[in-house]
Amino acid sequence: MAFPTNPIYKLHNSTFDGVTTQTVMKDIGNDLRINIPFDPKNIDYQEYLEWVAEGNTAEPAD
Amino acid sequence: MSTLKVDAIRHNSATSDAITTASDGTCTANITNNLSNRNLIINGAMQVAVRGATSTSSGVYTVDRFACNHNGTDEAPTQAHVSVDSGTTPFTLGFKTAFKITNGNQTSGAGTNDFIRIRYPFEAQDISNSGWNYVSASSYITLSFWVKSSVAQSFHVNMRAKDGSDNNYTFETGSLSADTWTKITKTIPGNSNLTFDNNTDEGLYIHFHMFRGTGNTGTVSQNQWVSYDSTLLTTDQTSTWYTTNDATFEITGVQLEVGSVATDFEHRSYGDELRRCERYYQVLAEPKQDSGVSNISTHGGNFYGVIHFHTVMRGSPTLVVSNFTNAFRAYGNQGTNPSTLTLNNGGSHSMVIQGSGNPGTAGWLRCYLGNPSGGAFATVAAQSEL
Repeated sequence: MAFPTNPIYKLHNSTFDGVTTQTVMKDIGNDLRINIPFDPKNIDYQEYLEWVAEGNTAEPAD
Repeated sequence: MSTLKVDAIRHNSATSDAITTASDGTCTANITNNLSNRNLIINGAMQVAVRGATSTSSGVYTVDRFACNHNGTDEAPTQAHVSVDSGTTPFTLGFKTAFKITNGNQTSGAGTNDFIRIRYPFEAQDISNSGWNYVSASSYITLSFWVKSSVAQSFHVNMRAKDGSDNNYTFETGSLSADTWTKITKTIPGNSNLTFDNNTDEGLYIHFHMFRGTGNTGTVSQNQWVSYDSTLLTTDQTSTWYTTNDATFEITGVQLEVGSVATDFEHRSYGDELRRCERYYQVLAEPKQDSGVSNISTHGGNFYGVIHFHTVMRGSPTLVVSNFTNAFRAYGNQGTNPSTLTLNNGGSHSMVIQGSGNPGTAGWLRCYLGNPSGGAFATVAAQSEL
């Protein structure tokens, strides 16, 4: 999966048994990618929300 | 048989009692050695470093629980998990490892928004339940640590209590001699303005500053709790270390404990510290052919599996995975290399991962977190840092 550099985040949908869960992914360099749950206590998610609050929009899910 | 009846025992030269007796037949004592379950810091001896030995990226916990953050640098500092030189005083006290920051070349000098710091965050509940009566000015916590700098100067430390009214406490180490390990001890009182919620959020952090620019420093009272102001984290800091190319800063033996006395460092086993660290970051598979995934099933063009965490995590973690071709391998009645391994859902006990591609349902369905066919070994980890 290719990641854009701008926006740096990309949404991801995962569907199982009819239930779709959305997460957001980010390439953090060094051949590593993080997949962030939409959990308000998760600091990676908090950083994502700050990025969105700055007026940015993540790339849509495939 | 005789009985010694006294109210207290104090050394001739001391200013406080070592043992205080009470009328109910009990006593309190300021014992400084061989005490357990005192240290509120995890990995204070810098034993655990599961992410790798070095990094130049800001925010990376090269040593578990201790992050190095930096901003505005011309050349990023290098953070490293290092050995303490044998023969030095911390080495002889049992400290074999340290966290070392090596400065880059800051050719444009010390900017107002520049900083390099080491950060340690606490869950609020761990302070709330520590036994510290943090609203009382006569109840104390004591921070102690060993530090060594290649540049002789004083360094600043600030602690922020984030809950409630949000307060800050800042102090200086005092001038350190160059290239000399020094033990710093600071006793900090409670304050009626302090609040620590009984939850898993960040309630307190400690920042050890190598340098912070004047955009966030200024006139602020030291050695007392004051209202937090992001522009007044500490008093103005000397830029000597920051403007010295390849200057070094090393720290180990960090201990925060309830009470007004710095007791001897509480040495814990590697396994004990690792388990504590895994609440915030855990490697889910060794970097080799390793299954690590259970209850695998297929659905549509994907397969799904459960990863159980070694330790219950602080919250729903972020999945950290290698982002290169052939990082993973799944087998059913056929082999497939998932192009992605993603998070389906999860909590603090386990997570469900999704892999693209269907390995077939016959046979022993299994997923390798490294790829024996591709020869590349993957990183798979869960992080729930503060």
